[in-house]
Amino acid sequence: MLDVRDIHKWYGPFHAVRGVSFSAARGEVVGLLGPNGAGKTTSIRMITGVFPPTRGTITIDGLSISTDPEATRRRIGYLPESAPLYPEMSVTGYLSYRARLFGLSSSERAEAVERALGLTSLEAVQRKRISALSKGFRQRVGLAAAALHRPGLLVLDEPANGLDPTQIRQMRETIRSLAKDACVLLSSHILSEVELTCDRVVVIAAGRVLADGTPAELRARHAPENAILIEISESETTAATIAIRSTAGVAEVESGKLENGWRSLRARLRTSKESGGADQLSLVARSLHDVGVVPRVLTPDAPGLERVFHSLLESSATAEPERAA
Amino acid sequence: MSATLTIARRELSSYFRLPVGWFTIALFLFLCGSVFGLVVLAPGRVASLRAFFGGAGWMLLPVVPAISMRLFSEEMRSGTIEPLITSPAREFSIVLGKFIGAASMLALMLLPTLLYAAVLARVSARPPEPGPLIAGYLSLFLPGVFYLSIGTLCSALTNNQTLAFLATLFILLAIMLASALGPAVAPVALQPVLAWLSFDSRIQDFAKGVIDLRHVVFFLGASILPIILAGAALRARRLG
Repeated sequence: MLDVRDIHKWYGPFHAVRGVSFSAARGEVVGLLGPNGAGKTTSIRMITGVFPPTRGTITIDGLSISTDPEATRRRIGYLPESAPLYPEMSVTGYLSYRARLFGLSSSERAEAVERALGLTSLEAVQRKRISALSKGFRQRVGLAAAALHRPGLLVLDEPANGLDPTQIRQMRETIRSLAKDACVLLSSHILSEVELTCDRVVVIAAGRVLADGTPAELRARHAPENAILIEISESETTAATIAIRSTAGVAEVESGKLENGWRSLRARLRTSKESGGADQLSLVARSLHDVGVVPRVLTPDAPGLERVFHSLLESSATAEPERAA
Repeated sequence: MSATLTIARRELSSYFRLPVGWFTIALFLFLCGSVFGLVVLAPGRVASLRAFFGGAGWMLLPVVPAISMRLFSEEMRSGTIEPLITSPAREFSIVLGKFIGAASMLALMLLPTLLYAAVLARVSARPPEPGPLIAGYLSLFLPGVFYLSIGTLCSALTNNQTLAFLATLFILLAIMLASALGPAVAPVALQPVLAWLSFDSRIQDFAKGVIDLRHVVFFLGASILPIILAGAALRARRLG
């Protein structure tokens, strides 16, 4: 669906995007993740045709955005950052205007507007002026306008920006339902959001791709450490600590106090690139069983995408950029 | 073409949804009404709107930049330019659509002044003749369209509405002054060129009731260059 190959962007002497490459397929939600100023919005603007890349190629369904601008624009639905809209227009007024711009006939228009309103749950406010809507509703109007002409590629720049947790959840559900028959590319600096919404994550920093894979793959490849979390009765702390420490593969045991006479132990594993998988878990369980300790919790302490992200950013400062795809 | 008309329609309707549109109309009609009431509607005078058209021409000076300043500057400031230029509409369609929307606004703004002709027809012994009336409206509308093309270009060059307004105002003032004073101060060799370029003489012809097709073509033709330049400015923006 979308193929981005080695795109660069210079703003005068500033090299904002330095050879970004990735691809995305229909039915997939791909997240561009990176800190502010990483080059996410610049990359998105090049993909949507706001401006062309200084170098590199972008194709949508095999059509180049530079040689087939009109055909590719028809295939893209774009929600820019902070959803710019005309405040003086009504919700349906704006949506039918956008439908006309994309050349939809009057019968197609009515159907498309109806469908977009339903998809984004905007029926209740469809006659309201956009200026009277809350931030969450405006974001949805922008999303409805982007999805109106059933584009194969939906590009959403920071769709969850400025929304409250309930609105973020609704936005996530809408995006997931849109991805059923389209490819969704979204950018975000909110890690948890990307982890929950996206099938695949492309991590960008300083204009370069640092990593590309599913959240699970990224965790496995780039997790700085893995651990097992154990909760036991306080009276068994010493025996359990000794037993776990002597288990093969365990590097260190950290202890923390819990309420009502319980204690948490975190066994950091030596093999940093492998998950705290079943083997390691059963080894720890056996060690505990041998000393007669029954834990109430024994679970892998998988690193969140956040830790992966920070480790990637830190390593990118010193090492060559890595692409794991 | 449908994208052009879609954009023109949205542009025109937005004037009536925003206070700035109504304020511009109110200001223009107040000024026109004053000229009509104080100068034209006097006992014993010939039933003619010539004095009104002469005055209204100068009133376009602040009104046209007020109509055109928003066209692109506001889209650039608010970011709505992005969904617009990433739609399948071509740059020229976008510029032309906005320009047509603004020109329609100007036409609608002139419409209520037809009431003055009706008043004159009612109170005068001899009603005003239709020929000079049509020519008089053309003497307002055609230069107005040209001024709007300058305003469209200025608006496409900045995301600051105030700057777009002032730049348009100054350029229009310079054109009007050059047109009025140029022939008197320019070297003899340049006189025929300046005479041909002069707006004043063409507007005067209209005011006399002469509808010369060459004048119509001149004003519409002169509007093309700023529109093409505005399209180029938008394209340059798209090319980053």
